[in-house]
Amino acid sequence: MIRYFSNIANNTKALIQGHWITLKYMFKPAVTIHYPDEKLVPFEMFRGALLFDQQVCISCNLCVKACPSNCIALENAKNETGKKIAKVDWYSIDFGKCNFCRLCEEACPTKPKSVWHSLDYEVIFVKRDEMVRCWKKDFPFIGKYFDRKAQDFKDPEGQVSIHDVQPRRS
Amino acid sequence: MTAPNPEDKKVPQPAKVPEPVAATPAAAPAAAPKAVPPKYVPPVPVLNHKNGRLIEDRFTTWPTQVFANRWSRPGFQWGAGMLVAIFGGLAVTGIVVGELATWADKFYAALSSFAASKGLSALFVEGVWTMIKVLIVLHIVLINGLWSIWWERKISAHIQSRVGPTYAGSPKGWNFHGWAQTAIDGIKLLLKEDITPAAADKWVHALAPGLVVAPCIIAFAPVLFGDNMAAASLDIGTLYIFAVAGISVIGIVMAGWASGNKYSLLGGLRGAAQIVSYELPRGFSVVPVLMFAGSLDLQIISNAQAGYWHGIIPRWFIFYPVVGQIAFVIFLISSVAETNRTPFDIPEAESELVSGFHTEYSGMKWSIFFLAEYAYVLLGSFLLATFFLGGGASPINAAPFTLIPSWMWMLGKAMLMMFVFLWVRWTLPRFRVDQLMDFTWKFLLPWSFVNIAIAGLYLAFWFK
Amino acid sequence: MSNATQELKTDQLFINLGPQHPSTHGVLRIGLTIEGEVIVKAIPDIGYLHRGTEKLAEVRNYHHCVVLTDRWDYVSAMPNNLVFCLAAEKLMGVKTTPRADALRVIMCEMNRVASHLLFFGTYGIDLGAYTPFLYAFREREMVLDLFEMICGARLTYNYIRLGGVMVDAGPDWLKRTTEFVEYFKPRLDEYDTLLTYNPIFMARTKEVGIVTAAEAVDWALSGPNLRGSGVDHDVRKSDPYSGYENYDFDVPLGKTGSCWDRYFCRVQEMRQSIRIIEQAIAKLPEGPFMASGVAKIPKPAPGEAYAHVEGSRGDLGIYLASDGGISPYRMHVHAPSFINLAMLQEKLVGMKVSDVIALLGSIDIVLGEVDR
Repeated sequence: MIRYFSNIANNTKALIQGHWITLKYMFKPAVTIHYPDEKLVPFEMFRGALLFDQQVCISCNLCVKACPSNCIALENAKNETGKKIAKVDWYSIDFGKCNFCRLCEEACPTKPKSVWHSLDYEVIFVKRDEMVRCWKKDFPFIGKYFDRKAQDFKDPEGQVSIHDVQPRRS
Repeated sequence: MTAPNPEDKKVPQPAKVPEPVAATPAAAPAAAPKAVPPKYVPPVPVLNHKNGRLIEDRFTTWPTQVFANRWSRPGFQWGAGMLVAIFGGLAVTGIVVGELATWADKFYAALSSFAASKGLSALFVEGVWTMIKVLIVLHIVLINGLWSIWWERKISAHIQSRVGPTYAGSPKGWNFHGWAQTAIDGIKLLLKEDITPAAADKWVHALAPGLVVAPCIIAFAPVLFGDNMAAASLDIGTLYIFAVAGISVIGIVMAGWASGNKYSLLGGLRGAAQIVSYELPRGFSVVPVLMFAGSLDLQIISNAQAGYWHGIIPRWFIFYPVVGQIAFVIFLISSVAETNRTPFDIPEAESELVSGFHTEYSGMKWSIFFLAEYAYVLLGSFLLATFFLGGGASPINAAPFTLIPSWMWMLGKAMLMMFVFLWVRWTLPRFRVDQLMDFTWKFLLPWSFVNIAIAGLYLAFWFK
Repeated sequence: MSNATQELKTDQLFINLGPQHPSTHGVLRIGLTIEGEVIVKAIPDIGYLHRGTEKLAEVRNYHHCVVLTDRWDYVSAMPNNLVFCLAAEKLMGVKTTPRADALRVIMCEMNRVASHLLFFGTYGIDLGAYTPFLYAFREREMVLDLFEMICGARLTYNYIRLGGVMVDAGPDWLKRTTEFVEYFKPRLDEYDTLLTYNPIFMARTKEVGIVTAAEAVDWALSGPNLRGSGVDHDVRKSDPYSGYENYDFDVPLGKTGSCWDRYFCRVQEMRQSIRIIEQAIAKLPEGPFMASGVAKIPKPAPGEAYAHVEGSRGDLGIYLASDGGISPYRMHVHAPSFINLAMLQEKLVGMKVSDVIALLGSIDIVLGEVDR
């Protein structure tokens, strides 16, 4: 008999305590970020979309070998006499295969690094072709993609940069 | 699916296996033909502020800071200020407008004199007046759909540390917390395709939503919205409400049957069993209230709670020593179960792996079920306010509070009860079907009988 | 009367608890044969998330394989990295530094907290309590922010590498972690009040899915599923790795092996993980965070190695066999979720349909691990 009543009392107390917690949180501010009016800037180490600097790269192929998904391809440039020089003729990353693991950035020996992760997380690929980013001489860090229909290099439209001037990793 | 190569002529296939040979060491000293200074100074990154408002310091959005310094958050200050302004504004409006019943009387008098002057019969006056009251009650139910769904989403959001709808409303700046979200959702549901399953019984399928919502609207007839503000002042008001609201069970069973789907049928039957079982404690828990008030008429019940003990404690039935609290709790739990809300939402949410009796409904038919649920919540809130919370009487026996008219108090108490409905939904997990049945037949119903007995003892020995 | 029931032929109905269902466990299909209210036969059908990682590992070198490991139990990826690195280090004969060990322990325990928070939230939703899910995710966001701060990713970290860890944890990170730990301790009490001791929740889970200790050992369950039945077996205590013997923590045990016991074990494990994190941060040794002597492209001598850790889901093990080349000859994963899932075939028979969700949620499987 006593157990019956103490059971009811304990259950009621437990239920009311639970309600008190939810009521408490109702009167606290929300922790929501109002995307897209407000956006978060990721931490410095964040592994966002990859960028490439053709001027600094020495075409050593370390990133190609470091990539677990085989998504980096490049070709050495040749100077006028046909001899290989330490520069890339073209460089491409297939973002369809990239798994953003940072092994290529860690393998790169140059200072500053030639391939590095930006903080961009808002990357959209509208067409399949956009997923393969290419860099040739004088292309911007973000790269261009080769549109097979137009047979031309175009700027990717779907990457919203967090930075106007990108930070570099040394 | 492999990505295609950009230039078939120039790009070779990427190597399948990385070669074990390391890069030529001769490449290293030839790095950076430009004269890079030995100490590399990285450029200062510049954020792209065209990209919306960028939050650079992530830790300002961490709960440790958000919760620790709530008053420092501008959003919180605005919110608190707005709430104070809204409540104050409402109170002032109420005081200015005064009792709506007097306005209604004035309107009725003007209508009769108009009819008398035109030589129209008294039947005309009654007819027009009834029509107006019907339209008002219908609109109360419909606008309740708009309001309570928005409020539920907001309350549930803030309980869960997030914000609810914020964008719907109008262009930027006027979309105050997404006030138009429910209206826009309603328009969306109107535009949805109305699918009737092939195996369904067409007529029953189409009639079921109507049979669920029509009794609810009819049940609002004697509901008291303030002093002398019931659409139909019935002397058997309570009995009428409980009787009519019970008809909707047929609608639920029809919906389950007509979907042609075994699981909808089972869900519908379970829902019906739940509603019918919980009607009993609901009815019986109100009996002490009827005993104390001495009538079934809602107005008389409300009037019986006027006045104060020792000038401070209102004479509301909820404050009656043991009887009031037990009756209130049992009525509250049964009302939550009647409306199929968590923790009793077996018919709605998790009925045997598929959704319940309203699985096969889409578009406006589904939204009628949805509105019916919130209409029952409103009905339950008003009944709770009338039976237990004084219905129109001010809780504090002091100057500005007694000036606020009764309909505003009634509305406030009903909204408070509706808040309790929402609060309970978002806190508790749901019962299993057999536990639900156990709970009502073995716990709520016996205690409601005991409650009646205690009320009888009170009446015999205390209230002479 | 009994004659009438004997002649009454009841239909057995086959339904799919399909690959897509509201419980967020992943793509799992259970074929249920139901007779009325009771389940007669249950066959779990897996393979919807199979990506062939064990085969892929045979064509990648050891550093690349670490990237593959993240994606098994994606909800708690650090122990996956760790177990592979332990096995590979055994093969190669590399010894890690003490600082790397301590950092590995901190990361794994924080990931255990994050994973159990996800379990707590989704189990609440399965049973109809919608709010604890958002509270759990609010706290989990903080853990993911901390991981993002240190290694750059929120889900697939690639942080624990062969020989050590990827980067060092600076004083700033340690300060923020301590801030999180202090914030989180009272939250656990709140979760207890909100869900663990909630009478409705207890009524739903206390009598459901009872697994006795003998059954649990027979079915080779591991992790909180095993400890919920009262069997005191934790890889961190029985076979310590990475310096776990230096930390002082308890192993929570259940009594009857019901769903509630398994749930309770996990919630208590969160408390113990917080204890370990505090001790590890206080005792963090100085020194290098990566051992020297790990080749860029490791070629271990032919041999085999087995390593296992206490992952969030149970006893996660890796068997590596090397033939002297740059890729493993064979890698096999002993995935706890895969093994725990097998018990469903027997346990679900005879249960009511309403209890399926409670039982399935309490085993806490992640399909990435089941299917690999």
